[in-house]
Amino acid sequence: MSEIVEKTGLRPLGAWEDGDIAGVYCSDMASDIITGAPAGCLLLTLQTHKSLIASANVVDAAMVVFAHDKRPADDVRELADRVHIPLFCTTDDTWSYAVRLFDLGMR
Amino acid sequence: MTGEPTDAAASSPGVTTCSHRWSMTDVRSGYLVVEGCYHCGARSSFFSEEPVAPMDEYREGPHIWEYLSGEQAVLFGLRCDRCGKVVDLSRLTGLAMSTCEDPECAVGRLAQELGRTASIYVALCGESTHESGRCVSEEGVAALQEYFNQGRRPGARRIVVVPCSMRSDADCCRGIVISDAGLTDL
Repeated sequence: MSEIVEKTGLRPLGAWEDGDIAGVYCSDMASDIITGAPAGCLLLTLQTHKSLIASANVVDAAMVVFAHDKRPADDVRELADRVHIPLFCTTDDTWSYAVRLFDLGMR
Repeated sequence: MTGEPTDAAASSPGVTTCSHRWSMTDVRSGYLVVEGCYHCGARSSFFSEEPVAPMDEYREGPHIWEYLSGEQAVLFGLRCDRCGKVVDLSRLTGLAMSTCEDPECAVGRLAQELGRTASIYVALCGESTHESGRCVSEEGVAALQEYFNQGRRPGARRIVVVPCSMRSDADCCRGIVISDAGLTDL
């Protein structure tokens, strides 16, 4: 996780601890996340509501990255903090950030 | 472990020694239509695979159902990769991450008991009043819980799934419903 944060210039939106990342999943739909995202993934999304955190938690996503510099509200950050899901944001759009992860060797 | 049911288990319907490994099966996309009865305040929801979510108002027994919302959703079942058992989850219309802390509610009491070791998700059926006496099956709730826990990383919070009939009151037991509402509000 720390390598991704450093090499892609992610901005943390709260406390986080380093850990392993097992793949990437890009989605803005909660129903799609719970049917497709693998455990330990980096979840790349535009959605910033609580439902996103509830979805990320049930599939055990390792981290959430908000594209396009989207920022969740404080209550969403608190919920993520409570279930230990670190949140980050990037100024890149979803596609551009996905390409950067691909270039880093993420699959 | 072959995952095959034993002879003894095979002779007892519903009993198996298989350590299930669940996968989603029969995943279908559609709309979760939520309706409300403006006479009694009851709510009802159902899954629709129509290209456009139905919005008709109609009478059913003592209720007059009025369209409230239609959100994109998926319907799925669970199938064990080892023994082939299939669990029908057609009565599951949603999952809600519980934030209930009400000591008068069984879900809230369970949350207090589990503390930070687990996250509770309420399996929602489509009938807020439970008039028909049916909810998401016990077997379905158990399979969902196994499914969401089977691939989690070591140290990750455990997922506990409970049926919505466990709530003392649908309006007081607080939670975050996993839904695709707000997709046009990006």
